[in-house]
Amino acid sequence: MALDWRSWLLLALFALPWDSWGGEADPVTSVMWDYYHARLLDGAPFVFDQRVKLQAPPFAEDARQVPIQVDASAFAGQVERILAWAELNPIPQIFDFAPGERVLLRLAIRIRIEQATPLRAAVLTRDGLWHVGSTQIDAAGGGCTAPSVVRAQAGWEEHLGEVLGRRFVLADASRLRLQIAHPMDNGLVGGIPEFYLNQAELRDASGKILARLELFPAVSENPTLSLDLKDEGETELWLRDNNGNEFKAAL
Amino acid sequence: MRWILVLALICCSLAARADFDYRLEPRQIAESVWLLEGSTDNFAAANGGNIVNTGFIVSDQGVLVIDSGPSRRYGEALRQAIARVTDKPVLKLLLTHHHPDHALGNQAFADVPIAALAGTTQLLAEQGEAMAENMYRLVGDWMRGTEVRLPTETLTPGPLQVGNRRLQLIGLRGHSGADLAILDETSGVLFAGDLLFYQRALTTPGTPGLDLWLADLERLQALPWKQIVPGHGPLASSAAPFKQMRDYLGWLDGVMRDGAEQGAEMNELIRTPIPERFAGISLSRYELIRSVSHLYPRYERARLRRVDR
Ligand SMILES: [Zn+2]
Repeated sequence: MALDWRSWLLLALFALPWDSWGGEADPVTSVMWDYYHARLLDGAPFVFDQRVKLQAPPFAEDARQVPIQVDASAFAGQVERILAWAELNPIPQIFDFAPGERVLLRLAIRIRIEQATPLRAAVLTRDGLWHVGSTQIDAAGGGCTAPSVVRAQAGWEEHLGEVLGRRFVLADASRLRLQIAHPMDNGLVGGIPEFYLNQAELRDASGKILARLELFPAVSENPTLSLDLKDEGETELWLRDNNGNEFKAAL
Repeated sequence: MRWILVLALICCSLAARADFDYRLEPRQIAESVWLLEGSTDNFAAANGGNIVNTGFIVSDQGVLVIDSGPSRRYGEALRQAIARVTDKPVLKLLLTHHHPDHALGNQAFADVPIAALAGTTQLLAEQGEAMAENMYRLVGDWMRGTEVRLPTETLTPGPLQVGNRRLQLIGLRGHSGADLAILDETSGVLFAGDLLFYQRALTTPGTPGLDLWLADLERLQALPWKQIVPGHGPLASSAAPFKQMRDYLGWLDGVMRDGAEQGAEMNELIRTPIPERFAGISLSRYELIRSVSHLYPRYERARLRRVDR
């Protein structure tokens, strides 16, 4: 997309360091916060907290594949769950991430957005407090209701569940990058019912769970995600969709 | 009192901006060759989408026009601007490619052949409606009455004789998938279309690959040009636009290649520092964000392998 004035504002803010955002007040303009606080966080105690770094581009160039990245490293050793959602999406929820000890508190994934929206990542710490990271993204829109790219390709069914991936050495971690072939039908397009990956587990060689990830159909077609591990140990990714298909990959 | 008058005049001239007059002023850049230079900004209501360079060449038989601009109004203003310079008839409109800022003024040329590469016509047929819709969103009322009008004539690369002018048509694809560059042999003016951006960050929504784009630049630079009209940015008479383009494309390609190699996420790449030497190029951060969205998926897929069991 090209920019209108709201995007220019976002682009201008984009270059600012995190610290320049306001303190405890909601850093984004939201009409839906109370609703999501009640619905997704059960009205539990929370703070808006810029230590939860939620990154997205200032505008969605492709509303069907918008990259978001959460970093809750500031809460190392204290995190139970990380939830993410796009407030003004018809399907707001993105993921519910339960990281184990060997996994860093970072996750990147691509999502669909239907219009300009606040994005949230809420981190639940052991003391029962939600720390909410926020950002805002502009969009021409239509990402949730655009026709499926996967389904337009002949023979896509034969590739269902294929996983592309690789492990990368970062300065402080071992990164797993994964892309899973799946249409992630969200039930909003062309009368096609919901058909999406809804569960993932990262396991070690002995089958022990390193992290659990619940996915929602705000996640883009052919989900692309990154998980960062503390060590180089072998891992297996297990996935299941809402039709009960199971897939596995080893890295 | 005098100040009030001055203020009133300023207000009037500002108000006049709202009359949707592009105020096109053709500039003669060579014998019988004219340029209409747009701004290097992004599409905005303030510029009506006039961020593009168009031009025309006056032969003894009539006028050859290069690109029709972003809207019907622009196309009409272009016709009027041409008529102010010459009383020769317009013979033909050539489109450098299908992008909205270059081809949505076509309606004003309904009375003459509109010529383009076959690929351009196909891409305009596929994407024109969506691009026009987006332009309405971005520049608003300037677009009123604008509709997609497809080319009526297919061009093949090679020589083209228009009256007493001999042109070379060069068929390329690095920017949009079907890109036409036009060299006027008489004057040595090269209309490079969007294969060349100068002092303005290049855009990548339809590129088949930065490597192909770089190869196209090599071909263009080897032509016997004396002046270069980039698709966006100022006229040049040196190889500076080629140098800048190659440098910038190489940087962009390197950012994404290294990123894919190191396992970078898109959100990490779009925060890459812009090198100091590109400080004078407008919209570089904005276009980096767009280019990463368009192109990075290809780079990263090339680095991944099947890992399912
Ligand atoms: Zn273009």
